[in-house]
Amino acid sequence: MKRFKTIVRVIFLLIVGLFFHYVLPQHDVVKVTSTEIIRTDFSPYNRIFYAQADAGASEQPTRDLRLINTQKRKTFLLGFIPRDSEGVMVYRNEDTGWIWPPYFKFDSSDLQAEAANLARGDEWAVITHYGWRIRWASIYPNAVGVRTIEGPDVRIIPWFNIFFFIFFMVALLFIRAMWRQFRERSVDPLLDAAGDQLDEVQAGVAARKGRVSRWLGTWRDKNKNRPVE
Amino acid sequence: MGFIRLVVFGFIGLSVIYLSVSVYSRSVRKERLEKQFDADHSEGAAEGARDAFVAEGMQAYNRSIRPKLIGLVYIVPTVVIATIIYTINAN
Repeated sequence: MKRFKTIVRVIFLLIVGLFFHYVLPQHDVVKVTSTEIIRTDFSPYNRIFYAQADAGASEQPTRDLRLINTQKRKTFLLGFIPRDSEGVMVYRNEDTGWIWPPYFKFDSSDLQAEAANLARGDEWAVITHYGWRIRWASIYPNAVGVRTIEGPDVRIIPWFNIFFFIFFMVALLFIRAMWRQFRERSVDPLLDAAGDQLDEVQAGVAARKGRVSRWLGTWRDKNKNRPVE
Repeated sequence: MGFIRLVVFGFIGLSVIYLSVSVYSRSVRKERLEKQFDADHSEGAAEGARDAFVAEGMQAYNRSIRPKLIGLVYIVPTVVIATIIYTINAN
């Protein structure tokens, strides 16, 4: 039972971690090489990894998708440890609109223009994005912003994520405090009152009967000892 | 359409937070008043004095600025969203 609990807990933490890793912004050091637009037919499997049509447009089963092709500096450990090697990376560039994830991005066309501008030169840039590149499912991370930098060896401090996790911990502690207060002031007095009555009724029964025999008792014929009329 | 959905569901969600935070805040204040009274009157007090003390304290709490500050639950997320919209979409 204890091992089972641990497994459930680990799976839960893993899901939460993956969720945050997908949704929270990350920064890549890249050289934009080109921009392009492809027509995309979503499948039921990868549809969830795409946003909706542009904020002002209507949703159709198929539509064009803006992509930003880059040469990216590789990293270790979620981008914390930079490496010297490079590889290609492709970002999609979609409006997130009003709902989810809450980036409120409406300027995909402007971002595409910025990327196209960067593609003309040989400048290094930082792309802020969320999401994953999953090749076998044709899933791209969504770029939300780009800015130029001096060279590839910048130190990027993820301020948003720092503040987000501080806020998240504070919120969790606050919810815990609220729950405890609610238990102490509202639930426990009720349970105590109900429990006292129950205890008095059950005390005699529980003392004589073991758990197993009580359970067995639920299977017995309740009418067996009833006097025959 | 998306904007309306955000406003409606955002309002519902924030109202739930607002209500639970105000209930929590009142509960904490009430508990503190009760404990304060018990500490001051360790050897018995007049009938109903405790309830009167707590009711008076709660009235003072209702008049203070604290319960009004809980209204920030509505304001802060709105400001945060407005800031995100500006920083993400400004050139």
